[in-house]
Amino acid sequence: MHDDHLMDQLLRDTMAAPSPQLSPAFDARVMRRVRPRRLTQTGRWLIAAYVVVAGATAAWLMRDVPVSAIVAALVMTVPIAVGVSAYGRRITLGD
Amino acid sequence: MGAEQPPYADQADEWLVDRCREAVDEAAFAELVRRYRGPVFRLAVSILGQEFAPEAEDVAQDVMVRMHGALGSFRGDAKFGSWIYRIGFNHALNVKARVRYRAPHVSDESLSTTPSADRSPEDQLQDDRRTRAVHECIAELPEVYQSALRLHYWLGASMSDIASMLDAPENTVKSYLHRARQLLHAMLAERGFDAR
Repeated sequence: MHDDHLMDQLLRDTMAAPSPQLSPAFDARVMRRVRPRRLTQTGRWLIAAYVVVAGATAAWLMRDVPVSAIVAALVMTVPIAVGVSAYGRRITLGD
Repeated sequence: MGAEQPPYADQADEWLVDRCREAVDEAAFAELVRRYRGPVFRLAVSILGQEFAPEAEDVAQDVMVRMHGALGSFRGDAKFGSWIYRIGFNHALNVKARVRYRAPHVSDESLSTTPSADRSPEDQLQDDRRTRAVHECIAELPEVYQSALRLHYWLGASMSDIASMLDAPENTVKSYLHRARQLLHAMLAERGFDAR
């Protein structure tokens, strides 16, 4: 019992340092990480323009390609694109 | 004029969780963060140790983000606090395994008692050695003992707070502390130090 009391006092002395505190920006950082990211108006226009131009260019480039080859290419690339996108989202959210 | 009370400050955790899930209410999530950021940070720092407080803050932040992503899977079988502390405990252990070989941000000496002017240099040196030995011995204890010791002696957490953070009854926490002191006593004696 005596030893336990002495050890209790030793631990109190040894760990007398002040407790660390969270930084004041903690809440803001958390909220920034969980808030869904929204594109600006300009960003949305740029993405829409890119989709239209890319679609038109792809259609023109593939005008002589058989439909079966186009379907095969989509079947292979779409799941990869979706997977990469989901992985990137996971990394961004830190899950 | 009193301080303004945050919205939802008087609501139960479960109500806030439902509100986050069903109404995607940012204020409800902010209230959960306000309630649990401190305890999760203290739990993380009690696992990582005194010299890794910045990493403990990162753990607390990651836990809050994970909480946001996992609220949908919280079934309410356990208390919300127990659920969030378990996420924090496991994540802090993972981070501890990664930072183990990294140089600490501050040394053990600067975290102990301040030197007393009326002590001889020999006594002061002996105290410093013993302090270092105590920190080294604590680092060799089982994780849950280390955490309980730091929460109790360094962070000043109450028995009931430690019990909820470690998901154990208060009597079990008391026995963790008692057993940890016994082990430390034996380990220090092996190194030629006593508790006086």
